[in-house]
Amino acid sequence: MDDNRRKTEYLKKLESKKLKRSQEYKTLSFSMGISLIFSLVFAFFGYSFITGEIHAVPLLLAAAFLAEGLFQWLLLSRLRAQILRAGTVSRAVRLSGILLIAFIATGNVFAAAAGFTLIKRWRPLEYTMTVYAAITTVLVMLVSALNLFKDYVSNYFLPGMALLAALIVLYLLALLCIHCWEREGTVSKKLLPVGILLILTAATGNIFALLAGLLILSHYRHQGQERSIEWIDIVDRLFRNNMAVVGMLVVIFLLSLSIASTLTFDYGIAIDNDYSALLQPISLEYPFGTDNYGRCVFTRIVFGARISLIVGLCVTIIPTVIGGILGAAAGYFGNRTDNTIMRLLDVLYAVPDILLAIAIIAAFGANLVDLVIALSIGSVAVYARTVRATVLGLASSEFVEAARASGAGDWNIIFRHIIPNSMAPIIVRMTMGIGTAVLSTSSLSYLGLGVEPYIPEWGNILKIGSQYLETQPHLAIFPGLAIIILVLAFNFFGDGLRDALDPKLK
Amino acid sequence: MKRETVWGGPLPRARVRLYVRKMYRLPVYRLLLIVLGLPTAVMVAVKHLFFSNFTAYGAMKQELEEEYRASGLLEKLTEQAILSERNKARFLKRADAEERLIARAGKIARRKYEQAFRQELELRMKREGVRPPHLIDTYLEWIDHGLFFAVSVVTSLPMYLLIWIYSMPYAKYISERLFMMVFVMIGVFVLVFTILYLSPMDPARNILGANATPEKVAEFKRMYGLDKSYLAQLWNTGKKFLTFELGTSYVGNEDIAAALGRRFPITVQLSLAAMLVSIAIAIPSGIISAIKQYSAFDYIFMLIALLGLSIPNFWLGLILILNFSIRLGLLPAMYDAANLATLIMPAIVLGTGLSASVARMTRSSMLEVKNSDYVLTARAKGLSEGRVISRHILGNAMIPIVTVIGLQFGGILGGSAATEKVFNVNGLGKYIVDKQFIPDIPVVLAGVVYVAIVISVVNLLVDILYAFLDPRIKSSLKNY
Repeated sequence: MDDNRRKTEYLKKLESKKLKRSQEYKTLSFSMGISLIFSLVFAFFGYSFITGEIHAVPLLLAAAFLAEGLFQWLLLSRLRAQILRAGTVSRAVRLSGILLIAFIATGNVFAAAAGFTLIKRWRPLEYTMTVYAAITTVLVMLVSALNLFKDYVSNYFLPGMALLAALIVLYLLALLCIHCWEREGTVSKKLLPVGILLILTAATGNIFALLAGLLILSHYRHQGQERSIEWIDIVDRLFRNNMAVVGMLVVIFLLSLSIASTLTFDYGIAIDNDYSALLQPISLEYPFGTDNYGRCVFTRIVFGARISLIVGLCVTIIPTVIGGILGAAAGYFGNRTDNTIMRLLDVLYAVPDILLAIAIIAAFGANLVDLVIALSIGSVAVYARTVRATVLGLASSEFVEAARASGAGDWNIIFRHIIPNSMAPIIVRMTMGIGTAVLSTSSLSYLGLGVEPYIPEWGNILKIGSQYLETQPHLAIFPGLAIIILVLAFNFFGDGLRDALDPKLK
Repeated sequence: MKRETVWGGPLPRARVRLYVRKMYRLPVYRLLLIVLGLPTAVMVAVKHLFFSNFTAYGAMKQELEEEYRASGLLEKLTEQAILSERNKARFLKRADAEERLIARAGKIARRKYEQAFRQELELRMKREGVRPPHLIDTYLEWIDHGLFFAVSVVTSLPMYLLIWIYSMPYAKYISERLFMMVFVMIGVFVLVFTILYLSPMDPARNILGANATPEKVAEFKRMYGLDKSYLAQLWNTGKKFLTFELGTSYVGNEDIAAALGRRFPITVQLSLAAMLVSIAIAIPSGIISAIKQYSAFDYIFMLIALLGLSIPNFWLGLILILNFSIRLGLLPAMYDAANLATLIMPAIVLGTGLSASVARMTRSSMLEVKNSDYVLTARAKGLSEGRVISRHILGNAMIPIVTVIGLQFGGILGGSAATEKVFNVNGLGKYIVDKQFIPDIPVVLAGVVYVAIVISVVNLLVDILYAFLDPRIKSSLKNY
C-alpha cells in the first residue's frame, strides 16, 4: 500500500520533471495562467460590484481573454499528453501556434510568445529575442493606435506608425532568416547583415533587438566552438524565468513607447489646457478620461513613462558611480581610508532618504534636476555599503593577490579585476533601485516636492486625481497602476537577474 | 564566575596594567587616556624624558654607537658604494657629475650603516633581555609604584573611570556605540544645516511679500540671526538644539519644540501600529513560505510580497479611502486622535510595504538555517516538528528579521509623510512637508535632525539588544 503510494509519487515527480524540461509546455502553461488572470482583471474593471456599473470594452476584452485562455488550456492538455507519451510534439499542435500568434490582436502578448515558441522545434536564443522584439513593437503600435479615436493626431503620427509597421515586418523577416540560415551550431554568413540591422533598430529603445543582433554576431564568431560565453549563458538563464521575461518586456515596452511617443503622440494633448473637455469620463477618445484642465490622462501617462524612466535611471546611476568609487576605495584600501569614508557615509545613512530629499528640495526648490540630485545623494551610502562589502570579500581573494604579485598597481587592480568581479550584486541592486527611485519620485511629486506640476509625471497626475477621488476615481487609479506596473516589472526583472547572475543562490 | 568576566569586578592593579597596555595600542583610546588623565600623563612624560636615557637601553645604545664609530664601518661602506656607483655609471654609459655620484653613494652607505646598526642593536637587546623605552613602559612602571598609583587615582579619576568601562565588554561596547552615535548626530546636524544654509531661496521675501522694504527684510534677518556668519549661525543653532529651545517658526510664531512634541507621539503611534500590522502579516506567511518552499503558497505569497513592495503608499491609501470610506462608508477617511478606528487604514497602508520586506527576509533567513546540521540533530532527537520550527529554525533566523524590522521602523518614521498627507494625520512628516514650501528653515532643520536622531537611537537599541540576545555576539564580546 505504502509502496504503491510511493511509486505513484515517484512517477508524478518524473512526469513533472519531463514537462518542466519542455520550454513549450512551460511557456504555454504560463501564458494560459496569465490569460485567465487577465480575463478576471478585465472583468473586475468591467463590472463594479459596489456601484453596479457595466463598461463594455473591458467586458469584451475579458471575454476574449477567457476564450483565449480556454483554447490554450485545450492545447496544453494535448501538448502534455504528447510530451508524456511520445516525447515529441506533433505537427498539428505546432501549427496551432499560428492561432496563438494571432491572439496578439487583442493585446495578448503572452499567447503570442507561446505561439512563437510552439511553432519552431529548435529555437536559438536570437529567435526568442527577435520574437520579443516584434511583440514589443506590436504593443507600442497598438497603444499608439488608440490615438486614432482622437480629434486630431500628431503631425508625425503617420510616418511614426509606418516606421513601427516597417519594424514589425523587419523583425518577422529576421525571424524567417534565422529560421532558414541558422541550424544547430552553424550560422550562415548571410545572417550577419540581419544581425547588424537588428542592432541598428535598437535605437527605438528595443533592447530585445539589440540582444538578438549581438547574439547572432557572437554565435557567428564562435561557431563550431564548444566553449560557453558567459553573457549568453546569463541571458539564457534569464529567459528561462517567465516572471523575469515579463518584467523585461514591460520595461522595454515602456522604453520603446517613450521613444516612439515623440512621433506618434502629441505632447500638446498632454500639457495644453482644453476647457471644452474638463473631467471627461472614460471613453475611446480619452481612454483614461481627462483631468481638471481637460488634458488627456492617457497621453499624460504615456509621456510620464519617459520622465519616470529618466529619473529612475539617473537616480540609480549617479549614486552607483559615486558610492561605487567610495565603497571600492574603502573596501580595497581598508584601515584609515575605510574608517574615514564609512564614518562620513554613516552620517548620510542616518538621515532617511525622503527627509533628506525634502530638506534639499526645501533649500533649492522643486524641479527635476534638484529632485534627481536629492534622491541621488540619499542613496549614495546604500550603494557604497553594497560595493564595500563585495570588494572586501574580493580584495583578499587569490586572483587579486596574483595580480598584485605580477606588479599591477592599486587602481589597475580595482578597475581591471575588482570592479568587473563585483558587478553582479551591484547590477541587481541597481535594477531594484530603479523601482524604489520611481516610487520615491512619485511620492515626492504627490507631496508637491517633485517635478513642476505641469509636467506629466505620474505622481503629479495622481496628485490631481486624488482631488477628484469621489467623482472621478479613475483619475487616481490609472497613474497608480502605471507606477505599480513599472516598479513591479523592475522588481521581477531584478529578482530574475539575481538568479541568472548567481545560479548558486537558487 | 561568568558574571565577573563579563561585567568585571573591582580593578586590581595587575588588571589596570593589562587594560592600559591594550588601550594604548588604539589611537583613539591613547588620546582619551592622555586627555582624561592629563596630570598623570604630564608626570609620566616628564619622567620618561628625563630618565629613560639612564636605563639599560640607553646605555647599550651608546655603547654600540661608540663601537660602530670605532670600527670604521661607515667609511668602508662609503668606499664600496662609490665603487659600485662608478661601475654602474660605466655600464650604463652615463656620464654623471662626480659630486652627485659621491653624494648618492654617501646616502646609500648611510642607509646601509643604519640598517646594520639597528639589526645589531635588536640582536643584542634580544640577547640581554632589554627593551626600548616606550612611554607605555613608563606608564606601567608608575602604576606598579604604590604611592604614585594612589596620587594618580586622586588626580586623574576620569582616566580610571575610562579604564573601568573598558574592562567591562558590554559597557565598553555600548559606550563605543554611543560615542560613535554622538559623532554621527553632530554630522547629521552640520549636513542638514549646511544644505539649508546654502539655500538660494529667500524666506524673508516669501513671508514679508515681494514689496517689502529692504529695512524690513534686514530686520527679519536680524531677528532670526540670519545676518551672522556661517560658523556663528551653526554654533548658535547647535546650542539651541542641545537645550531643546528651538525658538519660533517664521510663520505663525509657533514654538517649534512644542509643535514637534505634539506631533511626534502621533507619528510614533502610527509607526508602531504599522509595525504590529506588518509583523502579524509578515512573520507567519514568511514562515509558511519557507517551510513549504516551492509550493503554490510560497509562489503566490512571494508574488504578493513583491506586489506590496511595488505599491506606492499614498496610492494604496487613496484606494482604501475610495473603497472603504467613500463607497462602503465603513471606516472614517480622516485621522482623528480621539478615534482609534481612524488609525486602521493608515496603519494598514504603512504596514503593507513593511510586511513585504519583512516576509521576504523571514523566508530567506529561515531557508538559510533550515538545512543546517543542528536542525537535523534536533529532528533526530525526536523533537516535534512545531518545536523544531519554533525553537531551532525561527530562533536562529530571528536576528536578520529583527534587523530588518528595526531598519524599517526608521524608514516608516522618516517616510510616512505621504501617508500622513493622504489621511490628514497631524504627524511630523506632514508638518515638515507643509512647512518646507515657505521654506520655514528652523522647522525643517529641527524636524529632519530630530527624526534622524530618534531613528539612530532605535537602531542603536536594536544593536544593543542583539548583544544581549545573540549568543554568537555574546561570546565574541567576551574577547572584545
